[in-house]
Amino acid sequence: MNKKRTIIGGIVVVIALAGGYGWYQFNRTVQGLADVRADFSVNATDLIKEFVSSEDAANKKYMNKILSVKGMVKNVESAQSTIVLGDTSDMSGVRCVIDSTANSTIGSLQKGAVITIKGAITGFNKDETGLLGSDVQLNRCVIAN
Amino acid sequence: MSFLIKKGIISCCFILMAASLMAQDKFFTKSGNIQFSSKGVIETIEATHRSVTCVLDSKTGDIQFAVLMKGFEFRKAMMQEHFNENYVESDKYPKSEFRGQITNNSEVNYAKDGSYTVHIKGKLTLHGQTKDVEADGKITVKDGKLIAASKFKILMSEYDIDIPGSVAENMSDTINITVNCTLEPLKQ
Repeated sequence: MNKKRTIIGGIVVVIALAGGYGWYQFNRTVQGLADVRADFSVNATDLIKEFVSSEDAANKKYMNKILSVKGMVKNVESAQSTIVLGDTSDMSGVRCVIDSTANSTIGSLQKGAVITIKGAITGFNKDETGLLGSDVQLNRCVIAN
Repeated sequence: MSFLIKKGIISCCFILMAASLMAQDKFFTKSGNIQFSSKGVIETIEATHRSVTCVLDSKTGDIQFAVLMKGFEFRKAMMQEHFNENYVESDKYPKSEFRGQITNNSEVNYAKDGSYTVHIKGKLTLHGQTKDVEADGKITVKDGKLIAASKFKILMSEYDIDIPGSVAENMSDTINITVNCTLEPLKQ
């Protein structure tokens, strides 16, 4: 009798745990990057060069990684949700979409300032028109200090 | 005589310069917005992309979009993982593109502030599949900028996107896509 009770109790606990885990997974939000270590630390212009010279190799190297990119602020766009790092003489850049859930204050950022941004790389948008420049894109970005 | 030639050359230069200054036919953005949503039984799946590239040639009505699939942001991590790994396979097919044309481009006066209904026809490449797409949209000309907006639907099955049986019952095959881009003149 006691044994039976223990078994039933055990099953209930397992189901509860599995259900709890499932519920946690179902509701899990995308992780913020503020406390995540970057896999690579690179310069914005070097990163663009790497993709321009060999897109495949760079894609393999950086795919699904967290990057810490240092560069000059070229522009702040789109209601301050995007910071573009790179060289002003070049149309190409590293485009960093700021994590809207992180309270990064980018309002005071000046063009020309050199900063480091941590973000998840989403790929390389190669310019096929020859007019716009090719970009490396990051999202979930936070400004690293 | 040589004076006249000189004068001719100079005025030619001026005309060329003026022409190149006026030739701002192209508009672009690199921070366009595309949202998609799919209504399921349990919940609605939604994501936003804030780094959409778009180029519009006001002379010909040619319009192009490029989107890096991994740039879609979901609120829930599991949705984002499933979307990238199982549905659109973004490691294999990192980019989606649309190339098309505004079929009633002559009805849009790009030099004058106003709102114009446009019809767009073109080819959408997604998940390695290219299909014809038609959509209605609106172009608003304001202070030298264009706001391009459109809503249309695609079917996942047309793009060879497989949804596992257990999930398929809870998901709709129809994806609603909302495009919202502010384009600036491209200085060449």
